[in-house]
Amino acid sequence: MRFVPCHPLHLVLGLTVWSAWFVVLYGGLSVACQLAPPDPANGPSTWVNPLLWLSTLVVVAALLWAALRLWRAAPDQSQANRRYISLTSAALYAVSAFATLAVAAPVLFLPPCI
Amino acid sequence: MNDQQQVNARRHREYDRVWGNWPGWGALAAVNHTSVGLRFIVTGLFFFLIGGVLAMLMRTQLALPEQDIVGPELYNQLFTMHGTLMMFLFAIPVLEGGAMYLIPKMVGARDLPFPRLGAMGYYCYLFGGLIILSSMALSIAPDSGWFMYTPLSSSTYSPGPGSDFWLLGITFVEISSVSGAVELVVSILRTRSSGMSLRRMPIFCWYILAMALMIIVGFPPLILASVLLELERAAGFVFFEVAGGGDPLLWQHLFWLFGHPEVYIIFLPAAGIVSTLIPVFAQRPIVGYRWLVLAVITMGFISFGLWVHHMFTVGIPQLAQAFFSLASMLVAIPTAIQVFAWLATLWTGRVVWGLPMLWILGFLIIFVAGGLTGVMLALVPFNWQVHDTHFVVAHMHYVLVGGMLFPLIAGLYYWLPHVSGRMPSELLGRWAFWLVFIGFNMTFLLMHLTGLLGMPRRIYTYQADLGWDWLNLLSSVGGFVMAIGVGMLIVDILLHFRFGRLAPRNPWNADTLEWAVAMPVTTYNFISLPRIESRHPLWKDRQLPEALESGRGGLTDIQADRRVTWGSDAATGEVQQVVHLPSNSWIPLQTGVALAVTCLGLLTKFYWVALAAALIGLVVVLRWSWHNGGHPHAAPLRADDPVSPPLHSRTCDGPGRWGMLMTLLANGSLFACLLFGWFYFWTVSPQWQVPGEAPLTAAPLLISGVLLTIAALLQKRQVNRLCKGSAEGVELGFWISAALALAHALLLLWILPAADLAPRTLAHDAVLAVMLGYLLFHGALVAVLTALQALRVRLGYVRVELPYEPVVLQPLWSYTLTVFWIAFAAFILLPMAW
Repeated sequence: MRFVPCHPLHLVLGLTVWSAWFVVLYGGLSVACQLAPPDPANGPSTWVNPLLWLSTLVVVAALLWAALRLWRAAPDQSQANRRYISLTSAALYAVSAFATLAVAAPVLFLPPCI
Repeated sequence: MNDQQQVNARRHREYDRVWGNWPGWGALAAVNHTSVGLRFIVTGLFFFLIGGVLAMLMRTQLALPEQDIVGPELYNQLFTMHGTLMMFLFAIPVLEGGAMYLIPKMVGARDLPFPRLGAMGYYCYLFGGLIILSSMALSIAPDSGWFMYTPLSSSTYSPGPGSDFWLLGITFVEISSVSGAVELVVSILRTRSSGMSLRRMPIFCWYILAMALMIIVGFPPLILASVLLELERAAGFVFFEVAGGGDPLLWQHLFWLFGHPEVYIIFLPAAGIVSTLIPVFAQRPIVGYRWLVLAVITMGFISFGLWVHHMFTVGIPQLAQAFFSLASMLVAIPTAIQVFAWLATLWTGRVVWGLPMLWILGFLIIFVAGGLTGVMLALVPFNWQVHDTHFVVAHMHYVLVGGMLFPLIAGLYYWLPHVSGRMPSELLGRWAFWLVFIGFNMTFLLMHLTGLLGMPRRIYTYQADLGWDWLNLLSSVGGFVMAIGVGMLIVDILLHFRFGRLAPRNPWNADTLEWAVAMPVTTYNFISLPRIESRHPLWKDRQLPEALESGRGGLTDIQADRRVTWGSDAATGEVQQVVHLPSNSWIPLQTGVALAVTCLGLLTKFYWVALAAALIGLVVVLRWSWHNGGHPHAAPLRADDPVSPPLHSRTCDGPGRWGMLMTLLANGSLFACLLFGWFYFWTVSPQWQVPGEAPLTAAPLLISGVLLTIAALLQKRQVNRLCKGSAEGVELGFWISAALALAHALLLLWILPAADLAPRTLAHDAVLAVMLGYLLFHGALVAVLTALQALRVRLGYVRVELPYEPVVLQPLWSYTLTVFWIAFAAFILLPMAW
C-alpha cells in the first residue's frame, strides 16, 4: 500500500491508531490480570508493565514517524488544500503520539492488577 | 418590475413548483431539509419544556426537608424521565435538527443527500418520544435512572413495563439519530458547493462532521445494550444476570461507551455555534482555524477513551483507572484550545455585543467552570469522594446547560431572522438571559456545596439536621428563577413572529453561505449554486446573494422536474456529479408508523402484531429502495441527461455509496460491541460458564461461510463488469449470488434450532444465539437485495449506463462476509483454543 501524504484519511488515522492501542492496552491489562496476575508485592516491577510500556513505545515511534513524514512531504503554498491536509494530519499524528505517552505514563509506577 | 426581476420571479415560481411541500396534510410527506430540520427543533423544544417541568417538580420536592409532595416512586420516575427527555429527546435531536437545517445552506447545497432518510428519522424520533412520554401519562414510566443500570432495571427489580418503554423507545429514537448522522456526514463530505475544499469549509461543518461520526460510532453500543436487556426482560435470555454467567457491569461498559461520547456529541455542535457566532460578532475571521480543526478531531477521538471514569467505584484495577483518569484530563487540552481561540478572536476583534453574544458570554463562564470540575472528577480519589452526590449533578449541569443550552439559545437568536424574517426583541431577550443565568448559577453553583456536604443524588427527601436545608431551598428558588427566564425566552420568540422588526438581508453581517438564501427561507435554498473561493464567501463578495438569485451561479436550470444539487470531491470540493434527489414522499411516514406499531406490539407483548408490522415495514423500505436510480419515479434515462458532470446514478460512485459505508460503520461498531461483550464474559464475568460440549459444530458453519464467500466474490465480479462497461451475464450472476446467499442464510436458520442452545440459562449460549441471529439477518438481507438488483437488471433499471445501485450494495456484501469470518474465528475457533 502506498503512503499518500495528502490523503484526507490521515486526518483520522493517527487517532484511530491511538484508539486501537488504547483498547489493546486496557483489554490486554484485563486479560493479563485475569490469567496470570503478578504478585502485588512487586509493585510496578512485573512482567506486565514492561510489556505495556513496550507497546506504547512502538506506537509512539510509529506515530512520530508518520508525523515527520507528512510534515516533510507537505507541498508548497501553490497546492494549498493538499498542504493544509498534510500539515494538519502531521500535527494530529504528533497529538496522537503525545496522547499515547500521556495515557501510558502510569504504567511506569503503578502495579497492574490491584 | 424590470426584465431581470421578471426572470427571477419566474425562476422562483418554477423552483417552488418542483421543490415545494404539498399543501394541507400533504405537508407530512415533506422531505426537504428545511422542513424536517425545523420539525426536529420544534419537537425537541417541546420535550425540553416537559423535561423542565419535571425538574421543577423535583426542585419543589427538595426545597424543604422531609416533604412528601412527591413520593419516592414518582420521584424515581421524575429524575429518570427528566434525564431521558433532556439527553435523548431534546439535546441530540435539537442539535441534529439544527445541523440538518443549516448544513446544506452552509455548504451551498439545495438539500441533504438522502431527504427521505431525514424525514423517516424525524418520524422515528417523534413516535419514539411519544411512546416514552406516554409511559408517564400511564404512570408506568421508567424509574431506574436515565442510565438504567442493571440489575435495577432488570425484570427482578423493575418488573413493570417502565424499563421496556425506555429500552424500545430509546432504540427507536436512536435509529433516528444515526440516520440523521449518516446524512450529515455524507452531506458535508460529498455535496459541498464547487471549490469548497476542506480548508474552506465553514468551521461549523467540522464540528458537525465530528459530531455525526461520533453518533455513528457511539450510539450502537447503547442500541446493542438495549436489545440485549430487552431480550433478557422479555425472552428471559441471560446477559446481565450473574447466576447464568452474565455480568451487570457489561451494561455499564456498553452504556458509558455511548454515554460519555454523548456528552461531547452534545457539546461539539454547540461549540460549533460558538465558533460560528464569535467571528461574526467580532467582525473578523476566527483565530486559529486549523487549531480548532485539530482540537475538534482530537476531542472526537479522545472522548471515547473516558467511559470508565463513570465507573471508578466498581472495582477496576488502579492502573486501568489511571489510564482513564489521564485520558479524562487529556481531553481538557483540546477544549482549552477552543476556549483560547474564542477569547483571542474576541480580543482582536471589534465586538458587537448583540443579544446572541450575551448568551455566548454566559456559555464561556459556565462552561469553563463545568470543565474545571470535570478535571476534578477525573482524579480518582476525588471522584470516589463525591461519587453519586449532588456535586456530580452540579458538574453535569454546568457542562451540559453551559456547554449546550446557552450556545443553543445564542444560535436560536442568531438564526431566528433566517426562519421568520424578523429580529428578536433586545429587551425581553436580555431579561430572559439574566434570569436564566442568575437562576442557573443559583441552582447549580450551590449544588456543588450540597454534594460536598454529602447529599446523595436521586433521594426524594432528606433529614432537616444535615446542613443541606438552606442550600436546597436556594437551589429550588434558583430553579424557578431560571424557569421564569425560559418562559420569557419563549414569550420573546413567539412575539417576535408578530411584532419583531423586519430583518434586513444578512442582518449580522455574517460570512457564511446560509445568509445568502432568501429570508424567510425557501425549500430549495439557492436558485443557482455558488463557486467558493474563500472561507468567508459573503465577506469576500457582498453581492453574492443577489448574483445567485439572478442565476449567475451553477446548476440553474430545472431539467425534467428533477431536484438536483452538486456532488463534489470530499477533499477538494470540485464538482464531480449532479446529485438527483427524491421529491415529497409518504414512504418515510409509512416506515415510521410501521416501526412504531412494531415497537408498541413488543411493548404490549402482542408479538404477532409486532412481526406483522415489521414485515410491512420491510416491504415499505424495499419499495423505497425500488424507487431509485433509473426507476421512472426517480431519474430514468433521457437523451438530454447531463454528461459533464453526469447524474450520480450514471456513475460508480456517489452519495449512496458513502451513505452505505457510514451505515456499515455504525453496524461495525455494534458488532464490535458484541465481540467486546463476548470477550468480556470470557475474561471477567464472575460466574462464567461454558457448556461441557460446544453447542455449535464448525462444519455446517464452515459450509455456510464458503457459500457466502462464493456469492460475495460473484457479486463483486458483476459490479466490476458493470463499472467497466459490460452487462454481459450480470443478471445471471446476481441471481446465482442471491441464491447462494439464500442457501447460506437457510443453513444458518437450520443451525440455530439444531444447535440446542440454552440462552435462558447460560450467557454463553445467549450471546451465541444473538450472534447467529445477526449473521442470519445479514445473509438474508444481501440475498433479498441482490435478487432485487437482478430484477432491476431485467427491467433495465440497472445497466451499463446505470451501474450505481449494485455499487452501493457492494460494501454490504464485503461487510457481511467479513463479519461472518470474524464471528467464526471469535465464536467458534477461539473458544476451541482457549
